[in-house]
Amino acid sequence: MREKLGSKPWFYCLPALLLVVIVIVFPILYTGYISLTNMNLYHWTDYKVIGLGNYARALFKFDSGFLSALLTTLLWTALNMAIQLAAGFFIALGLNAPGLRLSRLYKTLLMVPWAVPAYISILLWRVGMFNTEFGVLNKLLTMLGLGKVDFLATNGIAFCSCMALNLWMALPFMISTIDGALQSVDRSLYESATLDGAGFWVKIWYITIPAIRPIIAPAAVMTTFITFKQFDIIYLLTQQRGYMTGATLNTVITYAHQNAFVSNNYGLSSAVSMLLFVIIILFSFATNRSLRED
Amino acid sequence: MTKRQFRRRVRLIALNVAFLLLCLVTLVPVLYALSLSFSGRGAALSGSLSFWPKDFTLDNYRAIMFDEPFFLWLKNSLVLSAGTIALAMVCAVPAAYAASRWRFPGRRGMLRVLLVLNAFPQVLSLFALFRVLRLTGLLNSHAGLVVIYAGSMCVFGIWNMKGYFDTIPVEIEEASRIDGANDAQMICRIVLPLAKPAIIVTCVMVLITVWNEYLFATTFLLDSKTYSLAGGLYQLQSNDYSRNWSTFTAASMLASVPLLLIFFKIQKYMVSGLTAGGVKG
Repeated sequence: MREKLGSKPWFYCLPALLLVVIVIVFPILYTGYISLTNMNLYHWTDYKVIGLGNYARALFKFDSGFLSALLTTLLWTALNMAIQLAAGFFIALGLNAPGLRLSRLYKTLLMVPWAVPAYISILLWRVGMFNTEFGVLNKLLTMLGLGKVDFLATNGIAFCSCMALNLWMALPFMISTIDGALQSVDRSLYESATLDGAGFWVKIWYITIPAIRPIIAPAAVMTTFITFKQFDIIYLLTQQRGYMTGATLNTVITYAHQNAFVSNNYGLSSAVSMLLFVIIILFSFATNRSLRED
Repeated sequence: MTKRQFRRRVRLIALNVAFLLLCLVTLVPVLYALSLSFSGRGAALSGSLSFWPKDFTLDNYRAIMFDEPFFLWLKNSLVLSAGTIALAMVCAVPAAYAASRWRFPGRRGMLRVLLVLNAFPQVLSLFALFRVLRLTGLLNSHAGLVVIYAGSMCVFGIWNMKGYFDTIPVEIEEASRIDGANDAQMICRIVLPLAKPAIIVTCVMVLITVWNEYLFATTFLLDSKTYSLAGGLYQLQSNDYSRNWSTFTAASMLASVPLLLIFFKIQKYMVSGLTAGGVKG
């Protein structure tokens, strides 16, 4: 029953494509165009095309801050993913331990951070945890007789604070993914391994990890992208307008945002945005290929 | 009790203690905010730390609901969510259906390009979108924001629902086609009811996105009366959080509860629904 389709499929796709062109394609093209101009505070309306100058400035002048922001982002992504996968794995393993009766309760409680709206989590942590006067952490330090610490004041500690918050927000998804994967592992494999005299770690290394890897890989890749593109945490914690905390921590996204909306250097910001887009596309092609080979 | 059993027992107790501690640490920020939201004014500043409300009061809730335009923001959030869900679904469902059912030239290419486009971080479109809205006169209007939200969720919607449509056998449709139903009737009466789980997950994801979005809302809406709940709360804390902090905790609780309820209702769909369309090429 093969009917002639003609242009019908495209007619069905038209509304969606129109929406995507307005909201996604146009901004990308416009950003690409602005990246070739010298648009900034001094050339707000009389900007002109200057070629690849902004790209050269971002890539080859170290003081532009782009390369250090890129390094920070890579470090941020790698550390977050490593800790998330390891912690998520062991927590999920614990939840699946035989004889743990309350595991459903624990699991539900551990999912709570996932359900809280992201911006609310971040703002609650900013004042409720990290603040020097209102924050839980500083109240604890004071009660222990220690001095107060400003958790967002300098780059090093702000990076760790942001990471702690990111782990808090992202772990529930990881735990529930790995937990689901663990439940799909064939129990009989463990039994025969036990008969062969294999210990706990041997079973994890040779049975559990190979079995869950293909199930976790897509979720891990997705989380890597989200972590790489994370904006809200660093922006809301350290660089809200009027509430700069002193840390000059920047990932590439906050760097691009800051160049556009704080220093009004739209040309440079657009060039950075385009570079970022290219990096993400290359990375997604690479992971897509390796996922398929798995 | 044998030695083996004893060791097992000890290990279980240790595991339980570890999980209790972990849950406690996880819940500290939420519990602290919850207790503050029911506490009197001085509680936040006092040196002591307590997770039980001091001088129990509903003052903070009264303050956020009646001193701030809370209900207006809530209404705006609902309007924006409903509008975005409607527009996103009207656009994404036919496209997902076409991509799933028909093999037409350019189909694979289109799906690929959509995925690549989705990789562009939305935050970085802020400036360009501001231009678009000003050009079309949609700045400071809910309609403009709805278009932007719907556009940013459209690709996710198409991929997610296409994946699910693929699993519905074509034979079911062919039977109804023999009964004389046209395409639109068939999609509404046969395909959509069968694809309910995917549709629900997609709608909820759109809802969550709109409900939590503060940056676009505060940039494109110039009048705080038109803000969504997220925009309003964001502005509330950015004005003067030291004065408003207790009020903000109450507002946080009110804004989180609806999402918490929805979340735990559909949580079992979330993992599969999120990863199904996301990365597989």
